[in-house]
Amino acid sequence: MSTIELRNVSRWYGNVVAVNDITMTIGPGVTGLLGPNGAGKSTVLHLIAGFLAPSRGELTVDGAASWRNPGLYRTVGLVPERDSVYAFLTGEEFVVATARLHELADPAAAARRAIAIVDMAEAQDRKISTYSKGMRQRIKVAAALVHDPQVLLLDEPFNGMDPRQRLHMMDLLTKLGAEGRTILLSSHILEEVERLADTIQVIVSGRLAASGDFRAIRRLMTSRPHVFLVRTSDDRLLGSALIGRPAVAGVEVAHGGLQVRASDYGTFSRELAVLARDHGIRLREVLPEDESLESVFAYLLES
Amino acid sequence: MSAETGVIHDIGYRRYTGRRLGRAQIVRALYWHSLRSAFGLGRGAKAKIVPVIVFVIMCLPAIASAVAVANGNPRLVPYDTYVFQLRVVLMIIFVAAQAPELVSRDLRSHVLPLYFCRPLRRMDYPLAKLAAFITACLAIIEIPLVLLYLGTIAQSHSPHAIWTQTRAFIPGLLVGLMWAVLLAAIGLAMASLSGRRAYATGGIAIYFFLTWILAGILIAVTQRNVVRSATINPPPGARPPGVPATGPIKVHMMTQVPTTASHLSGLVSPFTTLDGVRLWLGGTSKGALPGVGGYGALYGAMFLVLLAASIGGLFARYRKAGAL
Amino acid sequence: MSAPLTAPAGAPAAEPDSGAPVIQTSALSKRYPGPVTALDALTVTVAPGITGLVGANGAGKSTLIKILLGLLEPTGGEARVFGRDCQRDGEQIRGLTGYMPEHDCLPPDVTATEFVTHLGRMSGLPPTAAKERAAESLRHVGLYEERYRQIGTYSTGMKQRVKLAQALVGDPRLLLLDEPTVGLDPAGRNSMLELIARIGAEFGISIVVASHLLGEIERICDHLVAIEAGRLLRADTITSMTQVSQVLLVDVDEGSDELLAELGRRGLEPRRHERSLLVRLDGDATYDIVRDAIADLALPLNRLEQRRRRVEELFQDDDADALVTAGTGGGPSGGGGPSGGPGGTPEAPHVR
Repeated sequence: MSTIELRNVSRWYGNVVAVNDITMTIGPGVTGLLGPNGAGKSTVLHLIAGFLAPSRGELTVDGAASWRNPGLYRTVGLVPERDSVYAFLTGEEFVVATARLHELADPAAAARRAIAIVDMAEAQDRKISTYSKGMRQRIKVAAALVHDPQVLLLDEPFNGMDPRQRLHMMDLLTKLGAEGRTILLSSHILEEVERLADTIQVIVSGRLAASGDFRAIRRLMTSRPHVFLVRTSDDRLLGSALIGRPAVAGVEVAHGGLQVRASDYGTFSRELAVLARDHGIRLREVLPEDESLESVFAYLLES
Repeated sequence: MSAETGVIHDIGYRRYTGRRLGRAQIVRALYWHSLRSAFGLGRGAKAKIVPVIVFVIMCLPAIASAVAVANGNPRLVPYDTYVFQLRVVLMIIFVAAQAPELVSRDLRSHVLPLYFCRPLRRMDYPLAKLAAFITACLAIIEIPLVLLYLGTIAQSHSPHAIWTQTRAFIPGLLVGLMWAVLLAAIGLAMASLSGRRAYATGGIAIYFFLTWILAGILIAVTQRNVVRSATINPPPGARPPGVPATGPIKVHMMTQVPTTASHLSGLVSPFTTLDGVRLWLGGTSKGALPGVGGYGALYGAMFLVLLAASIGGLFARYRKAGAL
Repeated sequence: MSAPLTAPAGAPAAEPDSGAPVIQTSALSKRYPGPVTALDALTVTVAPGITGLVGANGAGKSTLIKILLGLLEPTGGEARVFGRDCQRDGEQIRGLTGYMPEHDCLPPDVTATEFVTHLGRMSGLPPTAAKERAAESLRHVGLYEERYRQIGTYSTGMKQRVKLAQALVGDPRLLLLDEPTVGLDPAGRNSMLELIARIGAEFGISIVVASHLLGEIERICDHLVAIEAGRLLRADTITSMTQVSQVLLVDVDEGSDELLAELGRRGLEPRRHERSLLVRLDGDATYDIVRDAIADLALPLNRLEQRRRRVEELFQDDDADALVTAGTGGGPSGGGGPSGGPGGTPEAPHVR
């Protein structure tokens, strides 16, 4: 079980403040690192990986600073975004070489295990230059896993992977997270982060905009009414009933049903079924429209 | 009173129902586009510096000659060799600087798939580029020749004089054409090997300079030094008082005499090869080669080999490059 | 713009029919020395509209695109775009198609206007038309004053838009977009997807979007073509691949254990699935039972919906939930050629 801790970490390059006073804790399980392009996500990953020193603040992995700490790499595996493999090596050679760099006792066995985990055993003897993008990604993950790290840092790991490879990788990360490893995943594909990550950290312009479970974050946005799409046997009747409730800010007939804006989510969600039953209205569909990670993320950027 | 009206105009997507040009015209458009970039047109002031300076300097001998002719002197430079050394240096600079503008930039930015997914054929691209660059080199070489010619005949007073000039001018134009075609082909072929302009420019310049210098060294070194002797007799007739009597004087002179090796040395450089072809075809002015000594046909062959290799290499390069 | 002539030079002999297939392949194969098989007897028909192209193994996708554009010879079979043979009439097809590559392909030192105008000329537009259509294309993709700056100064999102604009400038009948949202952040992806949907719906251009992101494809595409190991895995409409099943999903923020018990008491045999509960839908009465159970327990209801199939299930080797298999609707419909996919008894889909 490893914990990554950032306390008031800042990092600047001349006048450009890439990371601005971030305090966060990343524990076991899968954490998603989100943010618009240029927000500082890669910088945060590189800081944690010890490639950069914080200009200010403290950054520790399991209590030890990550900067100038080669021992860190026993616990940390990094899958960077850029193509960082030697194309003239075979997949197997590359992972074995990484294993040797880690001074593992049995590099060949460790490499074989790692390659099996990412399901690249069939292609391991081919040169990496012949690999598709998705295969390169997988071999990079194997190299990052070869020393059995407790911490895994991944920057856009699904880039170039086809659907089957993505599902496989998502299963793998879920399993690794369930094993208690600390996995930090930076990605733009929010549908996937939504499924993988228990917690998210959202970085906007170098600052930490939000942390935690995204559903809980959504609940915290009390100034924004929750939007629901409701389809029933009698939309207008339900609509007129709903508009009489203080928990409801607005009702609109739209999208083949009723679009309800609930200013008090908790109360509304308890009242809806009761109201429908009392009026003899059949509820066919109740869909939250802005509770997805995409919506939450968009709202965070707006504010 | 008319009712108030308002209109909302439809500015949605419009289909194009106009004329569509065929492949030939597309290639022509690419030709003009490339020709413009060879002279830095449409690319900002900095891109024009080298072409303009090269062109202006190349014109200077022609202008000087026009002035000289106007003052009653004969034409300063021949049509077929012009100012040989100057041409060599200026063309090296122009080709090394501008060939990458035409081809290396597209390679570097990986834009070629966007050409090949359009209604033109793969080989149209290098064809258009080659035609454009040959045109550009032609302009640099021939326009000064034209200026030289016009400057000379402006002072000619008889049709015969004009005809004399013209008869010398035409072969000069042909030599210029050979220069343009060969140098453009070599330059583009070499530039197409690299997307980095610095490497392309450096590679081309190094190749041309080194072979040129090598040819010069080889020619000088392989010529044989021969001593020629002559006897000079004292002039007949009375001697002025006080001048002592002398017998016949023997004079020894060291000259350089071409050998087979020196005849062949010109083959190492495209510039001396071009000069060799000129001599083979009957050129009389003094250029870089002292002579071809019966090996003229070899020079002709070398010219064709270099040309074919460059054009072949250029087209072969684009058979593979820029695959979607 | 020059006055349109009645017989434009180089224009297609017959305008593509609105219903006729856009792309048709028949036993299309491509083997490279290796031995690498990029395409293996692929037979598929792409209808007008927006079609998603999904595939395992990148070689198949780019090989297919090259063959369709007439840039590569297949080792077997044939391919047609708008009824024209790809090998014979490649040039014509390229005149009707716009292509947006996946990789970086923009020079940094020209402006978007110059670049798109030049490529308009390369598509066969006369000079004035090229300028006008370039301006229009840039407007449609949402590039305004930025178009006069050099492309090197653009963000990733703007660069993707330039790539799309150059594909549109020649007024194509078919757009081939290769991973159009790669590298874009969520807001950028959203804009690009909306733009593509708009082009498909309003501009009357058929689009093939090659993407690995099934969420995107579900969102904007009408059809799907899935290729695996060079062979057709499935060709179908998105609607039939995302049909509702006879399973009702219920999500309450609290008290799911009590709800589970209560629904069980009322005879519904509920099951857990991640955060939700699933019950089999046996007619409309089920809705009322669920509603009443929730109302009686005063639980906070977050979600109630019929479970839908997802395109992603095509690539999952096992079905997530036995309940789902038992109650699914719909098998392959439309498209041609062999299709593999999760089995299930076809049932009349629940129509909205």
